[in-house]
Amino acid sequence: MAAQDRSAPAARAVGLSKAYGSGDTAVLALDRVDVEIDAGRFTAIMGPSGSGKSTLMHCLAGLDKPTGGEVWVGDTELSRLGDKQLTRLRRDRIGFVFQAFNLLPTLTAEENITLPGDIAGRKADAGWLAQVVETLGLQDRLRHRPHELSGGQQQRVAVARALAARPQLIFADEPTGNLDSRSGAEVLGFLRRSVDELGQTVVMVTHDPNAASFADLVLFLADGRIVDRLMGPTADTVLERMRRFDSRGAKPTTATTD
Amino acid sequence: MLKATFRSFLAHKGRLALSMLAVLLSVAFVAGTLMFTDTIGSTFDELFRSTSPDVSVTAHNDVAGRNDQNFSGTVPTVPESLIPTVRQVPGVASVVGRVQLAGIVLTDANNKSIGAIGGAPTIGINWDLRPNSPVDLTSGSAPHGDGQVVVDADTVHKHHLVLGQQLHVIAATGGFPVTLTGIATFNTTNPGATLVFLDTPTAQTRLLGHAGVFTSIDLTADKGVTHEQLRDRVAPVVGSAYDVKTAEQTAKDAAQTLGAFLSVIKDALLGFAGIAVLVGVSLILNTFSMLVAQRTRELGLMRALGASREQVNRSVLVEAALLGLVGSTLGLLLGVALALGLIKLIAAGGMVLKGSQLAVHWPTIVAAYAVGIIVTTVSAYLPARRASRISPMAALREADTPGRGAPLRVRAVVGLVVLAVATGALVGAATDKNLGQAGLLLGAGVLLSLVGLIVVGPLLARPVIRAIGGWFPRVFGPVGTLSQRNALRNPRRTSATASALMIGLALVASLSIVGSSLAASFDAQIDKTIGADLIVQNSTGLPFPNEVGDTVEATPGVGLAVRGQGTRGALVAADGTQQKTVVVGTSPGLEKVVRIEMRAGTVAAGTAPGHVMIGSNYADAHGLHLGSPVNILFQSGQTGTLTVGGIDVTDTNPGGLGDEPVLATSTLRQYVPGALDDIVFVNVAPGADKAQVKSALTTALAKDPQVQVRDQTDYKKLIRGQIDLLLNLVYGLLALAIIIAILGVVNTLALSVIERTREIGLLRAIGLGRAQLRRMVRLEAVVISLFGAVLGLGLGLGWGLTAQRLLAAKGLQALAIPWATIIAVVVGAAVVGLLAALGPALRASRLDVLDAIAHE
Ligand SMILES: Nc1ncnc2c1ncn2[C@@H]1O[C@H](COP(=O)(O)OP(=O)(O)O)[C@@H](O)[C@H]1O
Ligand SMILES: [Mg+2]
Repeated sequence: MAAQDRSAPAARAVGLSKAYGSGDTAVLALDRVDVEIDAGRFTAIMGPSGSGKSTLMHCLAGLDKPTGGEVWVGDTELSRLGDKQLTRLRRDRIGFVFQAFNLLPTLTAEENITLPGDIAGRKADAGWLAQVVETLGLQDRLRHRPHELSGGQQQRVAVARALAARPQLIFADEPTGNLDSRSGAEVLGFLRRSVDELGQTVVMVTHDPNAASFADLVLFLADGRIVDRLMGPTADTVLERMRRFDSRGAKPTTATTD
Repeated sequence: MLKATFRSFLAHKGRLALSMLAVLLSVAFVAGTLMFTDTIGSTFDELFRSTSPDVSVTAHNDVAGRNDQNFSGTVPTVPESLIPTVRQVPGVASVVGRVQLAGIVLTDANNKSIGAIGGAPTIGINWDLRPNSPVDLTSGSAPHGDGQVVVDADTVHKHHLVLGQQLHVIAATGGFPVTLTGIATFNTTNPGATLVFLDTPTAQTRLLGHAGVFTSIDLTADKGVTHEQLRDRVAPVVGSAYDVKTAEQTAKDAAQTLGAFLSVIKDALLGFAGIAVLVGVSLILNTFSMLVAQRTRELGLMRALGASREQVNRSVLVEAALLGLVGSTLGLLLGVALALGLIKLIAAGGMVLKGSQLAVHWPTIVAAYAVGIIVTTVSAYLPARRASRISPMAALREADTPGRGAPLRVRAVVGLVVLAVATGALVGAATDKNLGQAGLLLGAGVLLSLVGLIVVGPLLARPVIRAIGGWFPRVFGPVGTLSQRNALRNPRRTSATASALMIGLALVASLSIVGSSLAASFDAQIDKTIGADLIVQNSTGLPFPNEVGDTVEATPGVGLAVRGQGTRGALVAADGTQQKTVVVGTSPGLEKVVRIEMRAGTVAAGTAPGHVMIGSNYADAHGLHLGSPVNILFQSGQTGTLTVGGIDVTDTNPGGLGDEPVLATSTLRQYVPGALDDIVFVNVAPGADKAQVKSALTTALAKDPQVQVRDQTDYKKLIRGQIDLLLNLVYGLLALAIIIAILGVVNTLALSVIERTREIGLLRAIGLGRAQLRRMVRLEAVVISLFGAVLGLGLGLGWGLTAQRLLAAKGLQALAIPWATIIAVVVGAAVVGLLAALGPALRASRLDVLDAIAHE
């Protein structure tokens, strides 16, 4: 299930809504979102803090249950799946990179990388694994424990883990949020290469225009709706687009971490 | 600050719950034990005071105790003729001749025993109530003449006896039929004894074998005459052949005998409570270590906001003290329940503590709070000190990655030194010839090896857990790897958790080794010495009437019956020094039923009339040879001079002939007329079938339910059963420590799950299923428990081996490792791990993935 047919979407949401709480105090985190994530592309999701980025990602990844609408990963509709099937879906078809605490401290870098496959009881594809490890420059770090690695290295290991099982989709939630700009750029470069050279599909949540500029497509989220999209972004066009929201009165987006 | 502490205590109450339970259980055990034994003590003090006559006159005897039911013919008597003499003493209000004898048997018409054999005694008493008697006749009529009996109400109710019912009394002189004519009720506590009242002539002839004698003469003092005054007046009148005691002295003597017994029970129970407390310490220490680790940031913030080290330290200690206070209070309440439960339990066993208040003395309360509060604060001391060392910077740093403790070098050195000393002590104990010294060394070795192993435990965690869980990854995949690594993450915590289990299991292992070695030694001794085909004996070794032996001899198929008697006496050396001993009597043919290794002479010559067979140790020590005269003081008070006819090799094995003199029954009875058989060895007649003879004997002896017929296999089984019973009792008492240890495993896992919430979220996000997660927690628990079991078994093996070597000189020559018990311990430990993991595993698997990832 490696590189897919570029024409079919890797995932899509139809009228996706997510409300927290009920009655008067209900918060609508996502409001009838329709979105398609193209296979073999690098998609960035941007938006102010609290706009619903993480919620959208969690719903698309089968981590959270929508309150309305449909979510499809490939040709599977998620709303009818139970915990067991969702777990299997995440294990077999989705890779994750979180902002921090991505790795299990008791396992070596290599064991962390192969963990999803090991859990599934799959034999690792040695050739692919070697290619991923080499692409991410982790050859010398495989036997190290997470606490022996720098923050950037840890995130690279997390990216390697996400790639190792050749998932249909990789979700990254602020993967560079805790890194200095140089290590951040490095990790983003690898995500880019995994799309270009390894044919992966990546969805990344970020609030950093520089990070978003690595993507093929940027979706802008505000108040639980997709309000804009930008193909072939650069840092400047993204920043300019965000300023436009600001002047329109949307919430400020600068440097707030979620 | 105090307010913050209190808040924190309440906030963590869930996490403290298991520590609290450990304190509660330990305190309850301690308090319950004290209240229970105090209650029994005060009940009996009261009983003895009310049942003792103002002044009593008994025969003075150096070697025999009063009512010594294990040996026959021991009843020193007072002649009836003494009564008129003492009646004349001024100040005597009334005189009653008393016959009172324990060790009789009461059976129903079907020869079923009424009253426990080997439990509380059945006591025969003459019906002659003195003023202030502790019993009253509550229905029917007093016994009159041979064949009438009054029984105490508790026994009547327990066995549903009715007036007019036919019963059977078996006394030393033989059995006789009786009719139940009345019921007597205690107006104080019945200590559980079955009381059988006969009229005075019947009691004298049937119980003592002589008319005209009593076991004591009970006097009541006139008003205005104190007990002491009366005693001082009576003593010169009766002379030095008699002991004259006041009620206070009698009660004190009785209380002392009981007190010694009670204090053994109390010490044993408190010992087990102590073990439980020790185990609780590790649980509390672990809890507070984890709480401090989890609160590093919070405590750092307090420091940053200006709290001093002392304040932080104190806040943790105060939290512990609060825990101790609450735990002790609840423990005290549970202790009351426990004591009441124990009293109910012994009531079901026959000892009804009637009308007595539960004795809650202030030392009990002090002890309960002292145990609870001191244990918790001491256990929390190290974590508190660590907390006070947290720098204000900790508030700003990321939470520490667990698994990187301070270097363990100091620990290694200290632990290994302690272990080396412990090993030295144990080897010393195993080889020392001086038993007392060896015992001390064993005690020191046990304690030091325990401490040493607790100290080096964290260092052993890695290699041992690698060995135990090495195959986990292969069988359980990444879940196995993770669980093994998690167990190794914080070796201190793992080893503290496991060492709690280790203590209990080490005791189980070592005691089971001693127990099975004891059984094996008995087996070997039985094989080596007993040549008899069958043995007729009371299961607790009590003597029985001679008609049993007569019945045996008359049973068809019996070839040879050798009847043995045991009495009290002393070997008197040439210089007059006495060595108390059992004086054994035997009918001819002993050498045909028991294999005795002789140094000189023969068994037959030693047990010929007028002769004696003595042990080689005694012979060597006193320069005795064949033909030497030996002086023996018999329990009747007479001294006889006998000729050495045989010298046997002194055998220190359990059940072996020590230095006890053995002589012919006929000779023994010259000095101790009432000596009864306490064993009959049987060889079947040539050509007769052993099994057939055995069943014939069993049938013939059905009317004597106090004796049983056993072959050697039965005999071994009996001894094994007695050892197992004792072991099970001890295991039962150790169960509390083991339960607390299990709570410790639960506690560690529960807190670990909380600590690792974010990790669990991550695992779930990347595809670990709920069942797999549960298995991960379970396997970790199993690994920790097995680690404890391995350490415990290792330690227990060391202790057990040492104890066996030490006791080899006392006859514990066979070493038997109880593999079944050891395998059970290992399997049990794994099961314990699984059980302990139930809650924490469920909790972990129920965590919401997103919440867990976002967990601080
Ligand atoms: N567990 C929750 N309970 C209640 N409200 C939530 C929860 N998670 C998110 N929200 C709300 O949903 C909205 C979207 O949140 P989120 O998706 O985390 O935004 P973003 O990642 O864009 O900052 C916010 O208003 C937030 O307060
Ligand atoms: Mg977010």
